[in-house]
Amino acid sequence: MQFVSYIGAGGATWGLVVGDGVVDLGARGPHGSLKAAIAAGELMEIGAAAQGESPDAALADIAYLPTISDPEQIFCAGKNYKDHVEEMGFEMPDHLTLFIKANSTLVPHRGTMIRPKVSECLDFEGEICAVIGRETRHVSEAEALDSIAGYTIMVDGSVRDFQKHSVTAGKNFVATGPLGPVMTTADEIPDPATLHVTTRLNGDVVQDCAADMLIFDIPYIISYLSKITPLQPGDVVATGSPAGSGAGREPLLWMKGGDKLEVEVSKIGTLAVDIVDEK
Amino acid sequence: MKFISYKLGADGAETWGLVREDGVVDLAQHGPHKTLRAAIAAGDLEALGESGMLGDPDTVLPDVTFLPVITDPDKILCAGLNYKDHVTETANTLPTELQLFMRSTNTLVGHCGEMERPRVSDHYDFEGELTAIIGKGGRHISEADALDHVAGYTIFIDGSVRDYQKHSVTAGKNFYKSGPLGPWMVSADEIPDPATMELTTRLNGEVVQHSTTDMLLFSVPYIIAYISRFTPLEPGDVIATGTPSGVGARRTPPLWMKAGDRIEVEISKIGTLWADVVDE
Repeated sequence: MQFVSYIGAGGATWGLVVGDGVVDLGARGPHGSLKAAIAAGELMEIGAAAQGESPDAALADIAYLPTISDPEQIFCAGKNYKDHVEEMGFEMPDHLTLFIKANSTLVPHRGTMIRPKVSECLDFEGEICAVIGRETRHVSEAEALDSIAGYTIMVDGSVRDFQKHSVTAGKNFVATGPLGPVMTTADEIPDPATLHVTTRLNGDVVQDCAADMLIFDIPYIISYLSKITPLQPGDVVATGSPAGSGAGREPLLWMKGGDKLEVEVSKIGTLAVDIVDEK
Repeated sequence: MKFISYKLGADGAETWGLVREDGVVDLAQHGPHKTLRAAIAAGDLEALGESGMLGDPDTVLPDVTFLPVITDPDKILCAGLNYKDHVTETANTLPTELQLFMRSTNTLVGHCGEMERPRVSDHYDFEGELTAIIGKGGRHISEADALDHVAGYTIFIDGSVRDYQKHSVTAGKNFYKSGPLGPWMVSADEIPDPATMELTTRLNGEVVQHSTTDMLLFSVPYIIAYISRFTPLEPGDVIATGTPSGVGARRTPPLWMKAGDRIEVEISKIGTLWADVVDE
């Protein structure tokens, strides 16, 4: 099943994707958001019950919201594809590298990603994201995938000159983190290492890699995070980006106003945004 | 004026209020705002504080259970390596630009609360820090205007798990219940220049950090201006300004906090924040 967060007739809502349309599950209640349904442990049940319903809107017509619009935490793995570590000239890491993105970075599918005034170095990073399904503390790697509600896609927009000052600064520019278009439930992706990421800038393929190239795989990341803090339902965990980012190219390739960026991940879909210059 | 977030006893409803000499006034009863952050965001803090000066207090300080001063900040941003003496003791070269990291809200602990030493590490270190609370949000704020965006100041213990911090700063700085924030927010009108404060950290009564905030490499106005270049600051955002020398990791032998310890941080014009260390 695929779930989407969007703006319905009555405001922010969420729904089940059925064919080319969406069944409004916020309107049917009792949960007003995808995160709330996940937290209640009722997502699969509610989704299954809505399978036979006729769509309330066409996917082509809806205004998307970030898949989870108000996560309690967004954790991101950095330097986590071997080929990306090599292209950036980093040393191969012994440990997972983490950073946090603020909710103010999030952008919906078909939204606009803002290239900031203060830098020209806005870079793309297409990433597979896990969405946490239940409170998770001290989970083993063997059991970690059971904590995942589903998978979605993130563009981990990175302002490279600020990132040199500190990773947190470069990764937290407002409206640089598209998240969407949908969450595919974990039962349809029993092994996330089989997913494939393709990033296109203005139609040209710039990143193309399989998730089995992750240095620290998704069970490792979830297990590691759960040693630090209780992960919460709806938490977003971005798993890192493969080679091909603009900072690793010669000449450097930065995004600019008017560009179109797409990230496609198998079994999930394609997240597409326009780049606009900050006014 | 001093503002706190609190509840009555262990099970009372969460509220916020004004701290007076004779007790605490519940300001959720004086207006529509259920949290200190909401009152700050509405621009109603000063007026509500003044209304709280009248009449009798609702309770006394010993009866409150402190909550983190801001219980639900949109963002918690922290400066690292921001005191010259701390940079020197950690054998880092002086930074040419501000180092930032973020903390998750669930790291926060209230005054007189319990910091959790994690199961997975015993390298549990203290960092006492002056902390600004944003009043008026904004983007692209100049250094000259930055202090006008501060609602007040409080104290933060940036509990740091040093072995995980070597993996990544974010990991070491985001352990659950590792960040006491409090005891209260002193409104910015009482602290016109945050570079004039004196900070003292004590572990089990022994002074382990002592410095003055004029030693900051990047000042409070600089930090606010810098952050606002990449993201809109929101009312209630928490900005920790970094810690001076004396941390446990740089002592020989290293000094790690353990269950039963009491950590306290005193900052002039604000007060003293303390927490007890317990094992997860």
